[in-house]
Amino acid sequence: MTSLRLAGLLAVATIPALAQQIPVIERRLPNGFRLLMVERHEEPRIAGGWVVKVGSANEHLGITGISHLFEHMMFKGTPTLGTKDAQRDLELIAEQERVRGEMRREEAAMRVALREGRLEDVTKPENFTPRYKELEAEFKKLIDEQRQLLVKNEFDRVYTTAGASGMNAFTSEDMTGYFITVPSNKLELWCWMESERLLRPVFREFYAERDVVYEERRMRIESTPIGKFGEEFNAMFWDAHPYMWPVIGWPSDIPNITKRDADAFYALYYQPQNITLILVGDFQPDQAEAMALRYFGRIPAGTQPPPEVVTREPNQPAEKRMYAEAETNPQVDILWKTVGYRHKDSYPLDVLQLLLSDRTGRLYKGLVLGSQVATETYAMQDSKKWAGQFNIGGEAKDGKSPEEVEQGIYAELEKLKNEPVPADELQKVKNQFAAFEYRKLTANFPIFMQVLQAEGLGDWREVNEANAKLQAVTAEDVQRVARKYFTKESRAVAIYTRKPGTGAASDDPDLAGLAADQRPMVRRIVESLTAEKDVAKLKEFLGQLEAQTGNADPKRQQLQKILQKKVAARIAELEKK
Amino acid sequence: MKSQFLSTVLAGLALGLTAFGADIVDRPEKLTFPALRFEPPNPAQFRVPLKSGPVAYVVPDRTLPLVTISITVRVGSYLDPDGKEGLAEFAGYLLARGGTKSRTAEELEERLAFLAANLGSGIGDDAGSVSLNLLSKDLPEGLKILREVLTEPRFQENKLDLYRQQNIQGMKQRNDDAKFIKAREQERLAYGDRFWACRQTTEKSVNAITQEDLKAFHQKWVHPAGFVVAVSGDFERDAMVAQLESLFSNWPFKGENPPAIPADISMSPPGVYFVKKDVNQGQVSILLPGVMRDNPDFLAIQVMNDILGGGGFTSRVMNRVRSDEGLAYGAGSAFPGGVYYPLAFQAGFASKSRSVKYAASIVLEEMTKIASTPVSDEELQTAKRSFIDTFPENFNTKAKVAGRFASDEFTGRFAKDPTYWQTWRSRIEAVTREDVQRVAKEHLHPSKAVILMVGDEKDIDLGDPKHPLTFKDLSSGPLVQVPLRDPLTMEPLPAESR
Repeated sequence: MTSLRLAGLLAVATIPALAQQIPVIERRLPNGFRLLMVERHEEPRIAGGWVVKVGSANEHLGITGISHLFEHMMFKGTPTLGTKDAQRDLELIAEQERVRGEMRREEAAMRVALREGRLEDVTKPENFTPRYKELEAEFKKLIDEQRQLLVKNEFDRVYTTAGASGMNAFTSEDMTGYFITVPSNKLELWCWMESERLLRPVFREFYAERDVVYEERRMRIESTPIGKFGEEFNAMFWDAHPYMWPVIGWPSDIPNITKRDADAFYALYYQPQNITLILVGDFQPDQAEAMALRYFGRIPAGTQPPPEVVTREPNQPAEKRMYAEAETNPQVDILWKTVGYRHKDSYPLDVLQLLLSDRTGRLYKGLVLGSQVATETYAMQDSKKWAGQFNIGGEAKDGKSPEEVEQGIYAELEKLKNEPVPADELQKVKNQFAAFEYRKLTANFPIFMQVLQAEGLGDWREVNEANAKLQAVTAEDVQRVARKYFTKESRAVAIYTRKPGTGAASDDPDLAGLAADQRPMVRRIVESLTAEKDVAKLKEFLGQLEAQTGNADPKRQQLQKILQKKVAARIAELEKK
Repeated sequence: MKSQFLSTVLAGLALGLTAFGADIVDRPEKLTFPALRFEPPNPAQFRVPLKSGPVAYVVPDRTLPLVTISITVRVGSYLDPDGKEGLAEFAGYLLARGGTKSRTAEELEERLAFLAANLGSGIGDDAGSVSLNLLSKDLPEGLKILREVLTEPRFQENKLDLYRQQNIQGMKQRNDDAKFIKAREQERLAYGDRFWACRQTTEKSVNAITQEDLKAFHQKWVHPAGFVVAVSGDFERDAMVAQLESLFSNWPFKGENPPAIPADISMSPPGVYFVKKDVNQGQVSILLPGVMRDNPDFLAIQVMNDILGGGGFTSRVMNRVRSDEGLAYGAGSAFPGGVYYPLAFQAGFASKSRSVKYAASIVLEEMTKIASTPVSDEELQTAKRSFIDTFPENFNTKAKVAGRFASDEFTGRFAKDPTYWQTWRSRIEAVTREDVQRVAKEHLHPSKAVILMVGDEKDIDLGDPKHPLTFKDLSSGPLVQVPLRDPLTMEPLPAESR
């Protein structure tokens, strides 16, 4: 054992002190771009990208979703990339805008019909006005003509042919990030492509792309079991802050975003002072900087700084609750207002998150293993740029209610408020943060993404500064933030129960004793009972059942009894009305 | 004159404004790039057949004080006895999470958490794995824990009960998301109800699993003769080899060699298979019989599929379904080669109910087209460059190098072709337009397609008035109603109850 320990100590001694730091080189271009570079020669590739400090929090009602729509449009090319005839292409886009302007007037008329109740759904093709259908056909002609000139997804093709990979982008409440990995000899191509699309983007195929975003909305929110409830819960949680609307936008806003909105938004937020370029990988920083200067330096600086988000969330005066019936197992989801990025309390809250999380965390030990009210639990401090939230939740164990899980969560929080965290438990969490300091450094792309996220939230230096602040957190700090933020008034609670008729047949405790092959039949009969309103008919059916029960074979006895019980219950329900 | 010109240029440079961009080319093709050389690592350099049984790939990497050990085990859910479906999965999950002879599950997890070590285990369809990632200073203790987990797992009773409970509750969500339903039913359609990989756990089957079953399963299949090991990180090679030898020697039980993985698949007859689900976006999967990974045409098939639907935004399916028509967020195809049995070709997307049939018709049309007309040189070049020039990514971390070679060892690819990666790029380079069309003709027959749709049947059937289509236009086969299944029994639910 002694020798093992010695080996361990020696290994510690050989860890270079600077290994935990991401060696970022920071430069500023004359027009305002910030350039962050991390040199790594482990593979002949470079992860490159840029972050724009704009997200859904910078939007306003009427154009919600525009940041994300932009993220899609930035891949559509430039005057020379994506078309065979730049001149005609721009003319066609202008003509399309004219027709769309007319279509929007028709849409306004259809919205009047909607408000007055003459139409149920303005998105159904059957409900389009004749004039709208004409315009649609006219628009389609222009699209068909443009398609003859298009070089489809040329932006992507150029990169792909050059051996690039992982081209993508994301939008959050606070930022929009674009990224790709290129072979290390193609750094100049990256500079060319990215500076071109920033200098002169062309938003062609705007309306087809808007439909794609709609499909993305259906995929992520509308057709998932709890997507629409999560969206509603978030909108309920924030009273005033623009974090209240979904990043993808409200469905009625997305189709009404005009090219004029888009141009104004681009001019305001996509200016060099609001963008940081990031490169991680196999390059020489001096050469990369010179190349960035040559290509990105030609983009004119903006004329006015983008506005800040000034709306602050007011102090919530009372708890909020939402009860949802969804196609999901019963569960609870709780949000508290906390603090945003780099706030001094965000570090003890991050520690608190780990104290609560994972299979050795307090929630799992308390609620899953201990009182056994839950089957799984989670906790997360989400330090956004302008404000923050803490999220705790869990799924109820069969036979337990979401409210019991909720009470169990509060009980764990009370312990954290009342008793200081033991030293070894705090150390366990700090060890995990310390180990992450190494794990975060394993490959280009994860390093790139951490720098990008930190920069988008406020300051890239956080990637190197956070750990020291986390290591300095004391048991008293944890207790103080637990008391300060986990109050009844600052929380919102979502209780999910299963939508009737969507689970397993055996969810009905009455059916528990039945054989597997009997359940579907009983379930079907029970459902048809719910639809039956004729009491006389039901009574007749009950009489038949009672007559049969005595003669049924033992295997069917229980089934008959359950059916009788269900029919009787339905009769009682109808007679009560 | 000369000096004045020079001073103007210098002034421009000093201002840092007018000079920028003055000489930048207007098209990316005009840029020239330095040559880039890359040679893949050679597996033989890292391969160590251990005396204790396993083959190990040992890849030192002193840049960070971390070590990753991953052990692949010859086991899988194909070994589940009838009536105990889920046994392999349960054994895999609980191996590292159910304690060991000397420590309870709680003690073990607490210690690992304190060391910030990640220990994981799992058993899938045709392989199992146990892996450990930890700080190199803790390696001796980590290896001791690993030995205990591999040889003396406790499968603690209360952890089995808890996992069973979690598992059954998980089953209850099986019909909640249309994506889950699609994933499940497409397996059945592609490989047949009776194929082992299509068997599903049920409440009854997981209730039948006992602690004794787990222990017996472990002793039967988890032993070094079937292990392949990947190790990378902060260690000295010979020292690590010695540590691995002691990790695997003197195994306390003998175990058995697993039987061959059955390959008796059968795809459903062509047709449109429909599962009703009340959502506003239909899920679609188009299936055809697939190939084995060692098919001589496998790389040509990969290039063909890349052009058809595998290459994202440079692929035809994505271009038409998404970029042209705005009908889906994601649309594409995959032609994975099987190791043990042919894996099916699959194309798919999710689209609003009314445009499901139209989008499906576009995908089928593209399948027909790539088999009947040669692809363009540009398309072929894009696909080939994409494969060839992203090749270094296969080896971009030492953990990936060790893992990739270990996987080749496990699946027999290394034994069959030790130079697989050395020759890979030239074999991609050799694919011609004729090859692409030939393999498309051989493998893509839209008339034989099994088309699965999950969604709102009424709206999907109603379709888009601008593109009127019937189910018959998509398939000459019948329209088959596939019932939803009771999530706990997997028995079909009667149609009326949906």
